[in-house]
Amino acid sequence: MKTAPPDTQSKPFAAIGQSAVRRDLAEKLTGEAMYAADVYLPRMLIGKILRSPHPHAKIVSVDASHALALPGVCAAVTPFDVPDGKIAPDALILDTEVRFVGDEVAALAAEDEDLARHALDLLRVEYETLPFVTDAVEAMSPHAPPVHPGGNLAGGNPLTLERGSVEEGFDQADFIVEDTFSTPSHSGAALEPRAAVAAWEDDRLTVWKSSRGVHQDQLLLSLALGVPRKSVRVIGQNMGAGYGNKDETRLSVLAAILARRARRPVKIEASRHEEFVAGRHRHGTFTTVKMGVKRDGTVTAVHASTVMDTGAYLSSGPGVIRRAGQGALYLYRCPNVRYDGYLCYTNTPSGGSYRALGAPQGHFALEVIADRAAKAAGMDALEFRLKNHVGPEGQPGERTTPANEIIDTQPLEGGIPFSSNGLRECIERGAEAFGWSQFQPSAEGPLRRGKGMAIFIYRGGPGGRSIARMRLEAAGSFRLVSGVMDVGEGSYTALSQIAAESLGVSVERITTTFGDTDMTPDSPITAGSTATFSAGLAVKRAASDLRARILESASKALGVPASTLDIFGASVRQREGAAAVSLADLASRSGPIEVEAAISPGSSDYVVNSFGAHFAEVEVNTDTGETRVVRYVAAHDSGRIINPRLAVNQVEGGVSQMLGFTLSEQMITDPMSGATLNASFLEHKSPTILEYPDIEVIFADVADPVGPYGAKALGEPPSIGVAPAVINAIRDAVGIEVKDLPATPDRILDLLDERSPTTP
Amino acid sequence: MRPFQIHTPATLSDAHAALLAGDAAIVAGGTDILGETKEGIISPSALVSVGDLPELGGIEVSASGASIGGGVTLAEIAGSADIARLYPALAQAAASVATPQIRNVGTLGGNLCQRPRCWYYRSPLFDCLKKGGDTCFAVSGSSKYHAILGGDGCHIVHPSDPAVALAALNAEVEIFDGSGFRRLAIVDFFVGPSRSMISETVLGHAEIVAGIVLPPPAAAARSVYLKAKERRAYDFALASVGAYLEMDEDIVANARVALGGVSPVPHFAAEVSLALEGAAAGEIDAAEIGQLAVRHARPLSDNRYKVRLTANLVARALTILTSDEPPQ
Repeated sequence: MKTAPPDTQSKPFAAIGQSAVRRDLAEKLTGEAMYAADVYLPRMLIGKILRSPHPHAKIVSVDASHALALPGVCAAVTPFDVPDGKIAPDALILDTEVRFVGDEVAALAAEDEDLARHALDLLRVEYETLPFVTDAVEAMSPHAPPVHPGGNLAGGNPLTLERGSVEEGFDQADFIVEDTFSTPSHSGAALEPRAAVAAWEDDRLTVWKSSRGVHQDQLLLSLALGVPRKSVRVIGQNMGAGYGNKDETRLSVLAAILARRARRPVKIEASRHEEFVAGRHRHGTFTTVKMGVKRDGTVTAVHASTVMDTGAYLSSGPGVIRRAGQGALYLYRCPNVRYDGYLCYTNTPSGGSYRALGAPQGHFALEVIADRAAKAAGMDALEFRLKNHVGPEGQPGERTTPANEIIDTQPLEGGIPFSSNGLRECIERGAEAFGWSQFQPSAEGPLRRGKGMAIFIYRGGPGGRSIARMRLEAAGSFRLVSGVMDVGEGSYTALSQIAAESLGVSVERITTTFGDTDMTPDSPITAGSTATFSAGLAVKRAASDLRARILESASKALGVPASTLDIFGASVRQREGAAAVSLADLASRSGPIEVEAAISPGSSDYVVNSFGAHFAEVEVNTDTGETRVVRYVAAHDSGRIINPRLAVNQVEGGVSQMLGFTLSEQMITDPMSGATLNASFLEHKSPTILEYPDIEVIFADVADPVGPYGAKALGEPPSIGVAPAVINAIRDAVGIEVKDLPATPDRILDLLDERSPTTP
Repeated sequence: MRPFQIHTPATLSDAHAALLAGDAAIVAGGTDILGETKEGIISPSALVSVGDLPELGGIEVSASGASIGGGVTLAEIAGSADIARLYPALAQAAASVATPQIRNVGTLGGNLCQRPRCWYYRSPLFDCLKKGGDTCFAVSGSSKYHAILGGDGCHIVHPSDPAVALAALNAEVEIFDGSGFRRLAIVDFFVGPSRSMISETVLGHAEIVAGIVLPPPAAAARSVYLKAKERRAYDFALASVGAYLEMDEDIVANARVALGGVSPVPHFAAEVSLALEGAAAGEIDAAEIGQLAVRHARPLSDNRYKVRLTANLVARALTILTSDEPPQ
C-alpha cells in the first residue's frame, strides 16, 4: 500500500501507550489457563512415539503385532502403513529412512501412558544402519553421506547476495579484519512440551494443539492427511512458550491417524527429553566475517559467509539462513557488501524457527568483528558505530524495486529510506544510561570487569495478508475476531488496545475471539515479529470502519449528523447536545454490525525495520572462568510502544533467554553415535533466575508512519544484540575473545591458558 | 519403567530386612533414584523408604564431635548453626547442592550414595562399563564433565558436594549391615573403578548408610568448600575443593584437602596435606600448592580446563584459609 502520512492525531491516545493488564493474566496466575495437554476427552487414548536409536538407517520392517496384542493398545502406525502425505517438503509423516537419533519410527495409542510406553518396547524394528554425518562443514564434503537424496547442501546452491562489489570495497580499505565464529544449537526449552489432541466426528477432525498459527496448522493437517481443509478444525490453546518453533504439525498428524484407527480421541504429549531432541532448536552456525575499514573508520566492505546446520530436516532453514545475513548486508552504511549462506543437512536433530531466526548468529560474528575494526582504526566501539550505522536514508545505491511495488521485508538493494530509524537514538541514549564513556574496566583479585556493546537491525513487522473482524454485538458490546495466535507475548492484549483506540472506547469493553479456525478468519502465523504490526493494521482498519458504521447508524437513529457524534461509554451521544442512543439499543434496532478488514501490510516507499543497541557490563572470574553479567541496558526502536509493560517484558525475556545462548546453553551431540547427550533442563544449562542481571529498557521516541499507531516489531529484536555485547565485554574485561559460543567456564579457562599456560 | 512396590518400614532393622528381598533399592528423598528408575537405568522391583526413619534423623553436636543421620536433609545441614560454626565447609557444600527444592528432600545418605551424572551412563542408548558393557564412551566421545584424576577405565566423576567437604573434615561413615554398625573413613567408603566398576561405594547388599561422624575441630581450625559450576544454581561441580586447616600459632599443624568433580571418587589430595603441614602460614605459595594438587592429572580431550580450574580453586581455598578473607 501507499504509505499514509504519519498519525496526525492531535488528541492524546487513550488506549495506546497504556500498560493494559494482559488479558490472560488472571487465568494464568490462578492456573486456570488451559494448555493443549490439559484437554481431556471422554475415551481419550494416549499416544507415544517410538524414536530411532540410530543417526541414519533404513527401516527394513516394523512388527507391531506384539504391541497390538497387548490388551489396551488400540492402534499403531508404522512407515509401512502410514498415509503417504508429507508434513513438510522433505518430511513424510513416517519414513522408512530415519535421519537422526530421535527421529520418528512408529507411533501407537493405548489406554494410558504407562501402557503406551510399555507397548513401545514391544514394537520390533529391523534397521539397516547407514553412514552418517554430524558436522555441518564435513557434511558439505563431496564424500559425506547424503542425509537426503541430492546432497547435503540444501537447495543445491549457496544463497549469495551482493550489493556493489566487495572486491572493490576491500581494495579501498586501509585495514581488513576477518575471523570465523561459531554458535551452538540451543533449545528454546519451553516450559510447555508440545502437545496435541485429535478427535474425529465422522469425517470431521478437531485438533487442540500448542500452535502459533491455527490456520496454517489447519492447512498443513489437511495436506498431510489428504482431507479437505474445511473438515479440519484447529483450536489453539494457551502457549507455554514456543519462541517460534512450535510451528509444526507432526504430533497432531500422528494423533489424528491414531485417532482415526482407534475411533477414539488421542493425545500425544512430548516428554521433556522428546521436547529437547525432537522439538526444534536454534541452528548451529559457523560464520566468517571480513570487514574493510579506512583509517578514519569508514567501513568500505563487509563480506559474511555462514555455514548453518539445519539438522535432519529443512524446517524453516531457508528463512533462517537468509536472516543470518541481514546484519552484514544492512546494519552499516556501506556500498559494498556480500553474504553467502550455506544451509546443510546433518544427521542431528532438526533446527527450526527460534526467536529472530539467524539474526543473533549473524550479528554475533558481525558485531565482534566491528569491535576489532574499530580498534584497527583506533576508535572507540561506540564512536565507530555512531560513524557507520545505517541512517534513516537507508543504504547507498539505487532502488531496483519498481516504484509502486511493496518493498521486500529484508531488501538487498540500496536507495530506499527507512520508514523510521531510531538506531542513533538507541545508541546515544543507551550509552548515556549505561555510562559508556565514564566506565573504567576494574580488577579485584581474580574478578575483572569490562563493558561491551552491539547494535542490530531486524524486520520491522510487515507480514502476510491479515484479516480482522470487529462486531457490535446485540448487548452493545464489542468483539474483536482475529485468527492470529498469542504465543505468550501478549498480542491479544495489544490488538485489543488497538481496537479500543480506533473505536474510541476503553480497552475493557473489547471482548475477543482468537485461536479457533471455525470462528476466526484466515490469518498468518505469529512469526517474524509481525503480529502486532500486521494484524494490528487489520484490527485498526476494522475498528475504524466499525466506528464509522456505528456513528452512521446512530446518526440515522437520532437524526443528527454523524460528525457531531461520538462513542461515550456504552452509548453514542452528541459531543455538544443531548441526543443519545445506547449501543445496546442501536444493536437491537439495526442488528449486530460487523465489519471485516483485510490488509496486505508493507510499504512501497520505505523499508520497515526495527533497531536497537545493547550494552553489557560483565564480571569474569579468572580463577574459575565464570562470567556474570552484572548490568545490562537494552535500547530499542520498535516504533511507538502499544503497551509499555508488555514491551519491557519482551525485552527482558529476550535478553535473559539469549544470556543462556551466550554463556551456557547448547545441545551436545555425541560425535561417535549422533545421540543428544544433554536433553534435560539440568544439562542443557538454561539459566536460572540467579543468572539474570537487572535490565534497563529504553524505547526510542519513534512513531513509525507505516505501523499501526506508529508501532514496529518488538518480539524478536531483543534477542539479537546479547551475544556480541557480552562477548565484547568479556574481551574488555580479560583481553580474550570468545569466538565459539557459549562462553562457558571451560572455554574461558582454555583461552586464558592459551595466553598464559600455567598447567603441566 | 518397570512397576515397583514401595515399602515404608518403621525401623532400620525392618528396612534392612525389606532390602534383603529381591532387587529392592533404598529411597530417601528420591531425587536421584526416581530419575534413574524413570530413565530405565535401573529397574528395582521395590523401593524401601528410609528417609523418615527416626534412627537416621538428627544432627548431634558434642565435645567429642558431631554426628549427622543419613536421613537428615541437605537443607537441615545447610541451615544448622552448629554445622556452620564448627564445620563451615560442610555447611557450604550442602548449601551448594542443586536447588532449594532438592535440598529440602535430598538426604545426606542419598547424596553420598547417588550415582554418577555421566551422560553416557545416564542414557539408555549406551551400554557403558558401569552398566556391564565393555566401553567407556567418554574416552572418544564428549568428555567435558569427566574425570582428570583416577579415571581407571571409567571416567565418571563423583557428583557429591558434601562428600568432598566430609573428606576434608576427616569424617567417618557409619554403616548398618542388619546386625550392627561399622564405621570407616569416608575416603575408604568410596571405591574407584579399579576396585569396582559398577558401584562407587563399599556398601554391600542391603547395607544402609546410617550417618556420618565428624571429629571435633581443633580450636584454631578453619575450613572452606569452593565449587565451580556453569550456573549459580541447579548444577553439579565442574570442580570443587574442600579444605581444612588447623593452625598451631603460625604453623600449619594439620591440613586436609579434597577435590570434587575431577575423579570417580572424592579425591583426597594427600601430597597437598603433606606439603602444607609444618609450613608457616605466611610462606605458603598457594599457586604452587594448587599445581601440586593436579600434578597427576590426565585430562581427556574436552576437560583440560579442569586442571587449571582445580589448581586455581585449591590456591583460592588456601588463600582464604590463611588470610582474614571471609569465605565466599
